[in-house]
Amino acid sequence: MWIAGCGGATGPVLLGLLLELLVPGGGAAKTGAGLVTCGSVLKLLNTHHRVRLHSHDIKYGSGSGQQSVTGVESSDDANSYWRIRGGSEGGCPRGSPVRCGQAVRLTHVLTGKNLHTHHFPSPLSNNQEVSAFGEDGEGDDLDLWTVRCSGQHWEREAAVRFQHVGTSVFLSVTGEQYGSPIRGQHEVHGMPSANTYNTWKAMEGIFIKPSVEPSAGHDEL
Amino acid sequence: MAPQNLSTFCLLLLYLIGAVIAGRDFYKILGVPRSASIKDIKKAYRKLALQLHPDRNPDDPQAQEKFQDLGAAYEVLSDSEKRKQYDTYGEEGLKDGHQSSHGDIFSHFFGDFGFMFGGTPRQQDRNIPRGSDIIVDLEVTLEEVYAGNFVEVVRNKPVARQAPGKRKCNCRQEMRTTQLGPGRFQMTQEVVCDECPNVKLVNEERTLEVEIEPGVRDGMEYPFIGEGEILIVDFYCPNFLHPIFERRGDDLYTNVTISLVESLVGFEMAITHLDGHKVHISRDKITRPGAKLWKKGEGLPNFDNNNIKGSLIITFDVDFPKEQLTEEAREGIKRLLKQGSVQKVYNGLQGY
Repeated sequence: MWIAGCGGATGPVLLGLLLELLVPGGGAAKTGAGLVTCGSVLKLLNTHHRVRLHSHDIKYGSGSGQQSVTGVESSDDANSYWRIRGGSEGGCPRGSPVRCGQAVRLTHVLTGKNLHTHHFPSPLSNNQEVSAFGEDGEGDDLDLWTVRCSGQHWEREAAVRFQHVGTSVFLSVTGEQYGSPIRGQHEVHGMPSANTYNTWKAMEGIFIKPSVEPSAGHDEL
Repeated sequence: MAPQNLSTFCLLLLYLIGAVIAGRDFYKILGVPRSASIKDIKKAYRKLALQLHPDRNPDDPQAQEKFQDLGAAYEVLSDSEKRKQYDTYGEEGLKDGHQSSHGDIFSHFFGDFGFMFGGTPRQQDRNIPRGSDIIVDLEVTLEEVYAGNFVEVVRNKPVARQAPGKRKCNCRQEMRTTQLGPGRFQMTQEVVCDECPNVKLVNEERTLEVEIEPGVRDGMEYPFIGEGEILIVDFYCPNFLHPIFERRGDDLYTNVTISLVESLVGFEMAITHLDGHKVHISRDKITRPGAKLWKKGEGLPNFDNNNIKGSLIITFDVDFPKEQLTEEAREGIKRLLKQGSVQKVYNGLQGY
């Protein structure tokens, strides 16, 4: 049984090594150090307006009345941390690199609510309202966002887009700012088209390195 | 001195020189066999680093040296390239000298705290922005709870670094007295600042090792204490069920379905445990549906003492034949089992 197992494994492993040699910039790909993986906690920076995706225990005064999601200029706020999780329970184990085109959930660490959007107008620009919804990481089908990027996997250095699975809008910031009680924070909303306002880059956080399967003890042949 | 003593002395001296030149035995320093896995090496390092840290051994003059040796041993043996070179050529066979300071390796496992061993926490410089505490929920598998594991993470955070020039700090209001003329003074309020070295925030990255210790329970925290901030890793076993085992504390529960024949005549089987080893079960008596078998020591390791393990509790259920039995089979069974009709009627719910 083990002979077949070990023999079977060498095929794909050799192929994998060949591919790594062929892919340019294979250094980062080899260790996987530059990839965003499920279970990682990070801050996202909107590359155009230089604000970080943020949420807090303040509800929208209009629209859905759910918890608001904004963009903040500060790089130092614990409320800007989001956790990347798979689309369904068990769908993306800890340490799996997120693929371009994969649907993920972004859970706000401090409030346990998921990044969410729906057919409500946003308060300042009348685009689509983006809110934080759910309890302890459990929300609903409108919590899914497809990571749009070029290449195979979401790389930390890359600017990516988040396209909503249910309504197809892109997570965007176009510059409108709120007044009191969240003065200076930017509106985050959904827009139908891909443009310079909806690219985001992973910044500060804890990135779990892609894991190697621990061997369950095997006999040497 | 007698020639015998002289030659022994020379031999001893040569041996000592030889031992020094040959370099340190890193495997011995870590207390692991030459075949140790990377996981064993990390585990051994972590245990010894806490014991040998100089802050913990203020009375030992060799504490610093022992600690350095430990760091060097880990640095070489945890890197597959360096380990190969070391295994073949010994310590001098290593291409470049050890670059990273032991402090770096230590903080990969424990964070940068100076006050862990009972000292006072460093004074917070109020002018440098405080980083934010961050809690990471780390999903662990039941296999990892059984055998333990190390998870490598990269921490990216803004760090205050020296920048050229000066900046204003400790700004405060002060009353200034100016003389307008003989006997005439004016008191004004002024903002007065000190000059401090300029700092800027730069995003820096560092690799940290989080250990999943065997027996870890949901909600347990693993703190990394950095400069002015705390990173807490919160372990949890995800909601979805493990296909084979169910955890209750340190015990594991599992179910086995056996056939009607096996329940009556006995059977032998093996259950594959979380780390691949087999748990053998052998029955030669009748096994009733719902019967439980306790296998002591086959549960999960206790977090506080890994040598103590809980139990594996196996509950059997019996698979009854699906097709109806033929007339011949029915007669045959009545004859073989020699059982009369029972048909006892009673209250089975007993108030539940």
